[in-house]
Amino acid sequence: MHGVKRVRYSREALAAHKERERAKLKEFQGLTAEVLSRKKGNDFDKESFELTTRLLHVNPEFYTVWNYRRRILLNGIFPTSTPVQINDVLSDDLSLTTTLLKQHPKVYWIWNHRQWCLRQVPDGPTDADPNGWRQSYWNKELFVVEKMLEVDPRNFHAWTYRRIVLENMPVKRPELSELAYTKRKIEANFSNFSAWHQRSKVLSSLWESGKRDKFKSIEEELDLVKNAMYTDPGDQSVWLYHRWLISLGDSKSVVDREIQSIEELLEEQPDSKWCMESLVFYKRLLLRSYGESLADEDRRKLASDCEELLVNLQRVDPDRKQRYMDLSQHKL
Amino acid sequence: MGSTLNVPLHVKYIQSLGENKDDLIYHMTAHLRMNAVYWGLTALCVMKDKDALNREEMIDFVMSCWDEKTGGFSPHPDHDAHLHPTLSAIQILIMQDALDRVDIPRVVKFILSLQQESGVFAGDEWGEIDTRFLYCAVNALSLLGHLHELDVEKTVGYIRRCRNFDGGFGNREGAESHAAQVFVCVAALAILDRLDEVDQDTLAWWLAERQLPSGGLNGRPEKLEDVCYSFWVLSAMSILNKIPWINADKLTAFILSAQDPDHGGIADRPGDQPDVFHTLFGVAGLSLLGYPGLDDLDPVYCMPASLIESKGLRKGWTALPRKASV
Repeated sequence: MHGVKRVRYSREALAAHKERERAKLKEFQGLTAEVLSRKKGNDFDKESFELTTRLLHVNPEFYTVWNYRRRILLNGIFPTSTPVQINDVLSDDLSLTTTLLKQHPKVYWIWNHRQWCLRQVPDGPTDADPNGWRQSYWNKELFVVEKMLEVDPRNFHAWTYRRIVLENMPVKRPELSELAYTKRKIEANFSNFSAWHQRSKVLSSLWESGKRDKFKSIEEELDLVKNAMYTDPGDQSVWLYHRWLISLGDSKSVVDREIQSIEELLEEQPDSKWCMESLVFYKRLLLRSYGESLADEDRRKLASDCEELLVNLQRVDPDRKQRYMDLSQHKL
Repeated sequence: MGSTLNVPLHVKYIQSLGENKDDLIYHMTAHLRMNAVYWGLTALCVMKDKDALNREEMIDFVMSCWDEKTGGFSPHPDHDAHLHPTLSAIQILIMQDALDRVDIPRVVKFILSLQQESGVFAGDEWGEIDTRFLYCAVNALSLLGHLHELDVEKTVGYIRRCRNFDGGFGNREGAESHAAQVFVCVAALAILDRLDEVDQDTLAWWLAERQLPSGGLNGRPEKLEDVCYSFWVLSAMSILNKIPWINADKLTAFILSAQDPDHGGIADRPGDQPDVFHTLFGVAGLSLLGYPGLDDLDPVYCMPASLIESKGLRKGWTALPRKASV
């Protein structure tokens, strides 16, 4: 149970609440007994199908009933239907799950049933266009999932579903459109780590397939991140993403430049934990990766900067004090 | 509420759960009954009051959920078998020392039948995949002494592909890191002795950053705190030996503040309705934080530590030392 407030009822209010519940309970128990008994008897008729609809409206988490519904479709309804009829039934089931997802956007079983329906879509509408139905469904899915992500931009069920849709569309959508989508989500809210994550996956794939130049896009990303950092230096999403970008490159000048830029931000925001945390990481990265090419004096300076930053971090972020102490102890 | 854990009230709360048979919510959550019994029993074990629920009734209930057709357990009689209640059933039977009631080879066969080509496990024949189910399989096979039948490379390979740049893991390939999925992946790797697959510095940093100013932990960056993450995050941190990287006193106070002072039980957040899920993960968190008077919990299996140790299954995790008093 998440986010349900505790209420103290008076005795009368409690009794009234119980009374209201009793009617609902009776209906639910009656329906459950009826459906489970039909399931046991392998009843695959239309009436059983309708009963599962009613029950799932009351309790969409009752996964056994979703399973039974699919058995009815596979064993009772599909075998006696034309492709057009099957297509209509699946279209209705997709509408059912749309309705239920609006009320219960985090119930796994509804998302699962939706995917199952899409996998069952028959060839059609014509022999000449066997992918027509599928294509139009999958295109619509992208729209559905975008609506869901407008309501809750962090819903991980919806993001997972989005990746499934992108993978399964008979005619693939260019990855660059997905890159643009994540940028829109990020610009709407820099704290949307789900969108930053998705962006990291799309970029990796674009680099791997050679559709994007890795070095060039890291530079573009660093620009995007810089904008976000200056907007809200306390937002960890941005710093996590920044660290990823730096870890991908192997250029000392980029690390130097980023350190300088973060130091400027730290001057404006002298207690910024994330500036300090990142500076320690990048300065240590310089020592680790480019230590041999540095002058003794520069090495000493970097090491003493880190020490000082770690002492300050203990002060501004006392909850994680032990971590900063451990990092101090853990010499390179 | 308060600065101490009200053990007698929470025991009473857990006992009362099986008696609320005129509550709608009791019936609406029948699909989680087996899990709920496991959550309640484990919480009682941590609070050192295992016998507060009747052993025989519990074992009978578990066995009434065995599905002879598939070899798995369902969460409730007449419901369909699934990997998640199957793990809960095995955990309960082991805690009650009643594994002799089970047809182990058939259960093992059910579990192994759900592994996919990619290495991940499906929850049941309908094919939903999730690293949660992979953990259920690995944990259950280990408890049943049949881990040698698992294709370890294939399994580890899938977890590896779920690792993200922040060091965390998602519920499937490509998915965003989430603390509960971090727990299942790290604990599965611990059972398989493959923690070398974890980018430990990055992940421990990410986990430490789950703590919010309230003291509570969230499951992903820029999200709200919730008592259940006390376990998901702490278990992974204890496996990486990094619990000291967060403020234990503040987290302890946050968990205690989510207790229901009238009826017992722990909620997701202060002031919310308690449930048995958050009650377990609240006391589990407190146990790992060294809260006085509680029993040690094994963070890998989420079962009493002494029991896991006696089976020779203990891995190298570290909890905070048990305090003598509040």
